Amino acid sequence: MSTVPGGLTLAVPSKGRLEELTRKTFSSSRLTIARPGGARSYIGSIKNQPQVTVRFYPAAEIARELILGGVDIGVTGTDLIHEASENGEENVLFVRGLGFGEADVVVAVPDSWIDVQQMSDLADVASDFRARHGRWLRVATKYVNLTRRQFAKYGIAEYRIVESAGATEAAPAAGSADLIVDITSSGSTLQANQLRILEDGLIMKSEANLIVSRTADWTPLRKAQLEALLSIMGGVPPGISTLL
Amino acid sequence: MKTASERYAALVRLVESRTVTRAEPPLLLPAAPYFDLAGEEFGRNLLLTTTNNGVEYCLRPDFTLPIAQQYLEEGLIGVPSAFTYLGPIFRQLASTPVEFEQAGLELLGQAESDQALDQVLTFARWALAIYDITAPNVRFGGVGLFEAFLEAANVPPAWRSRIRHRFGHPEALQRLMERLANPEERVTAPAPDSRDTVIEIVTDAMLSGGLSLIGSRTPEEIADRYLEKQALDAAPVPAETVALLQDYLSVAESAESAFVRISSLCHEAGFDFDEPLGQVRNHAAALAALSPSADVIFDASFSPRLDYYTGIVFEMTGSDGEVLASGGEYGRMLERLGAPEPVSASGCALWVDRLEREANL
Repeated sequence: MSTVPGGLTLAVPSKGRLEELTRKTFSSSRLTIARPGGARSYIGSIKNQPQVTVRFYPAAEIARELILGGVDIGVTGTDLIHEASENGEENVLFVRGLGFGEADVVVAVPDSWIDVQQMSDLADVASDFRARHGRWLRVATKYVNLTRRQFAKYGIAEYRIVESAGATEAAPAAGSADLIVDITSSGSTLQANQLRILEDGLIMKSEANLIVSRTADWTPLRKAQLEALLSIMGGVPPGISTLL
Repeated sequence: MKTASERYAALVRLVESRTVTRAEPPLLLPAAPYFDLAGEEFGRNLLLTTTNNGVEYCLRPDFTLPIAQQYLEEGLIGVPSAFTYLGPIFRQLASTPVEFEQAGLELLGQAESDQALDQVLTFARWALAIYDITAPNVRFGGVGLFEAFLEAANVPPAWRSRIRHRFGHPEALQRLMERLANPEERVTAPAPDSRDTVIEIVTDAMLSGGLSLIGSRTPEEIADRYLEKQALDAAPVPAETVALLQDYLSVAESAESAFVRISSLCHEAGFDFDEPLGQVRNHAAALAALSPSADVIFDASFSPRLDYYTGIVFEMTGSDGEVLASGGEYGRMLERLGAPEPVSASGCALWVDRLEREANL
């Protein structure tokens, strides 16, 4: 579903450092992204590439659009692709990391839980938590899918997710959850909240990626346009479109 | 040659036979009881919808829970009851919504739980016969048997609950077994601290982290588990017990030879396990009599990942390995739903669409 028949849609994060660094990456490849209406406009273009329509979306929405084929190419975090849908990664092609937006999605517990070092300890705690406290162990996170997958992998079934929109790290102190799954780049926010990452609590390392949708409608013409665009960007071996 | 609609009509007759009550719970159910009973892992398969004030409902994902709930709500505890069902259920698989047709039987509060299980097996066999499936692959597992085995094999109680909790999750159980089998990889515990000292340290850490001392895990609980871990590391499970456990869990073969093997494993280890084994053996024999051409396997490590199963569990699979029928004894479910005393329960669920597919092969 591209807006321009025989053209490409590129999704770019709509604000903040992600937008800034994405535009910088493209312009260092002589692909200058124009956003004529400024921050309040959600459509743009690339100089000298009339076949490309640029759309500005929040990063999480870019992940969803890539998975559903609503946009052809996009820049967003690996974590958001994995989080957007249980089989999100099957529907996209990670072309290459862009060297910014690095962060780890981790499982962290209160530092005072001195008996809990690993996921297997958490499994033990979860198993009799309800018998002790009359409720499930609660995990605050905005990464519902990633959390479910990680916990299933370690055989932990006895817990509930408390969805948190922001300030996840404050949930244990606020009493709304017992532990958290969250993103961290330096670990300092976790430390400040006296939370500790489990030894095997790294769920995934994430960074901003150039991503191609597998579910978009790839005609031979559009594949050729994709190859041309990627070759200008560089750092990508030719022939990516044969994988679509 | 029967047609699909004739087969379906026969199935309707089976679930409406005179000795059972056909239950018809609503299509739209509150989601909270499912999350409460089965947790997040099952919850991810629900198709949810939310009211304007934030209460979650789901499209009926199974019949067992609403049937058991209704049994409790109508105050039937102590009354032997037999419920059947037939109708659509809804789940999401890999983020795609799927509608299945499911049939089944739930026997609640039966005095003789052994007989109840045989009735369940018979019901499943009849249902399969409607679809001309006379030689299913049957896999048995023993949840109660495994619990009895851990006790008989003299596994230290603290380890027992850790092992039991991972039963039915092969990866997690394997990791634990490896941890037990390789003591050199264990972190050597420091000299044990006194309980009071540990409690004090944890309390300080909790307070400085801004945590409530009562809302979540308490300092005492954390300290006790910390000390227990130290004690467990200091007193590992003997290597021969770990080997015996691994031998037991690796048993997966035709039922009769499986029981012989388990029995001899136990005799070699110096204890008698024939009585607990006898029960499982009888059910396998009853099923073999019921369908002589079925391939009956006992798989010692087979268990659903839901902790309310208590006794024997089984599944029947078709030619392509898909589960056609599954069930067993789930004696802890009604208590988990709030029954004041244990209520025996056994049942099975049949995947009607798969049965129909199998009939057309």
